[in-house]
Amino acid sequence: MLKVSKLNAGYGSVNILWDIDLELNDGEIVAVLGSNGAGKTTMVRAITGMIRPTSGSVIFNGEELAGKSSRTILNSGIVQVPEGRQLFTEMTVLENLEMGAFSKETKEHFRENLKKCYKWFPKLEEREKQAAGTLSGGEQQMVAVARALIGMPKLLILDEPSLGLAPNIVDDILLVAKTLVKETNISVLLVEQDITKALATADRGYVVENGHIALSGSASELAANEHVKKAYLGI
Amino acid sequence: MDLFLQALINGILLGGFYALMGMGQNIIFGVMKIVNFCHGEMLMVGMYLTFLLYTFVGIDPYLALPLVALMMFGLGALIQHTLITPSLKTKSFTNLLFLTVGLGLLLSNGALVLFGSDYKSIRTSYSQTTLQLGLVSIALPKLISFCVLIVVTIVLFIFLKNTTTGKQIRAVSQNPVGAEVCGINVKRIYLLTYGLGIALAGMAGCLLTQFYSIFPTAGAGFGFRALIVVVVGGLGSIPGAFFAGILLGLLEQMSALFISPSYSDMIVFITFIVILVARQLIIMRRR
Repeated sequence: MLKVSKLNAGYGSVNILWDIDLELNDGEIVAVLGSNGAGKTTMVRAITGMIRPTSGSVIFNGEELAGKSSRTILNSGIVQVPEGRQLFTEMTVLENLEMGAFSKETKEHFRENLKKCYKWFPKLEEREKQAAGTLSGGEQQMVAVARALIGMPKLLILDEPSLGLAPNIVDDILLVAKTLVKETNISVLLVEQDITKALATADRGYVVENGHIALSGSASELAANEHVKKAYLGI
Repeated sequence: MDLFLQALINGILLGGFYALMGMGQNIIFGVMKIVNFCHGEMLMVGMYLTFLLYTFVGIDPYLALPLVALMMFGLGALIQHTLITPSLKTKSFTNLLFLTVGLGLLLSNGALVLFGSDYKSIRTSYSQTTLQLGLVSIALPKLISFCVLIVVTIVLFIFLKNTTTGKQIRAVSQNPVGAEVCGINVKRIYLLTYGLGIALAGMAGCLLTQFYSIFPTAGAGFGFRALIVVVVGGLGSIPGAFFAGILLGLLEQMSALFISPSYSDMIVFITFIVILVARQLIIMRRR
């Protein structure tokens, strides 16, 4: 459903991503792994149109998206949960979720999708009227995921969901992602620094180093790979 | 006592204008993080527009209000589209500072060329009417203006709080990255916000015309006071801006009454500096 080929992108004259090739099939969870500064978030930003790729292609369900605006890409069904959540901290939880409905279609389905989100994250219903900034880190991450789900994604990109969260909360979020993929027809691109957790969740993975794809393979292959073990898992 | 009451009423009525100016500046600063240094000149443009509509078309200043608001909104949106959006790309605060300061100079000098430096005023059949309420007298136009101001404030508050566009404006002001992630058209919000801010300044100008002289630098004092209102009232808060505006008006009238009218400007700015320093000290102590 998503095919990225020879993608180059960066900021200004500085190129960060070099010839990225990546594929994601329907109903898959694919992990993008790598350490801080490897270029993972730049990749997310290039795929979602928040920065314009310098070359290469991003084909999503047969449609070329490279160079399109972030709004067009959002409309095609790629919705991200950005790094650092990027919530509207002084707005209530409900208002944050309302902002997730960007198109006519998502606005029409807002009520039913909201109900679904509250089913996934019952805590959010209790805190509906509370300012998002007053929530705990884990709850804020739930708001960010729910806000993306309100946008009715076909592909959900989770950028560093573990950032600053307690391990058991990360497990909860990843469990929801797994269940989502199983029960709905959403696919997930999981961008993570926490490689153990990511490989336990994902079907396949790519390892990004210095803006290149260094390795790719199934989750079990990657977990058994000597380089991954040494460089990332400390075994 | 009656002098005190009179100053109290006048302070509140005057403060309403500072509040309206402050609210416009506040939403512009909140959303785009730029200080609009031509805000006072926009008030002056609103005054001249009202003057022209009254003199040549014969429209009553209060009936002209929606018209002036609409034209000022258009002017703001045009400036945003042609001048500010390109400058925002440079991400240079200095560029935008010079841009808005320059625009202000252009507008006030433009008015000087077009209308000359003499003071103009609008005299309607009711401009001299005063209401006697016990010990105090209130000029009718001031009272009407204040009521209109309150309605505008409430409408603005409800707009930002409850409408989708209002929520999007708040979203962009709180987190532009988050807004883009949600597919909010940030450029459109900038256009709306700047237009709205300028429309508010123009409305303040329109409402002022019946008891304040119209001249090319009429807006300068109001422009500076709008900045004070933003700082004292708190960023992004409409009620905060409203009450800060009223307080500022009261302070000015009270210092005019108890000290001297010629010192009231000085006292306003000294108080402002004291508040800034005190706030800084409190913040430092908390850390």
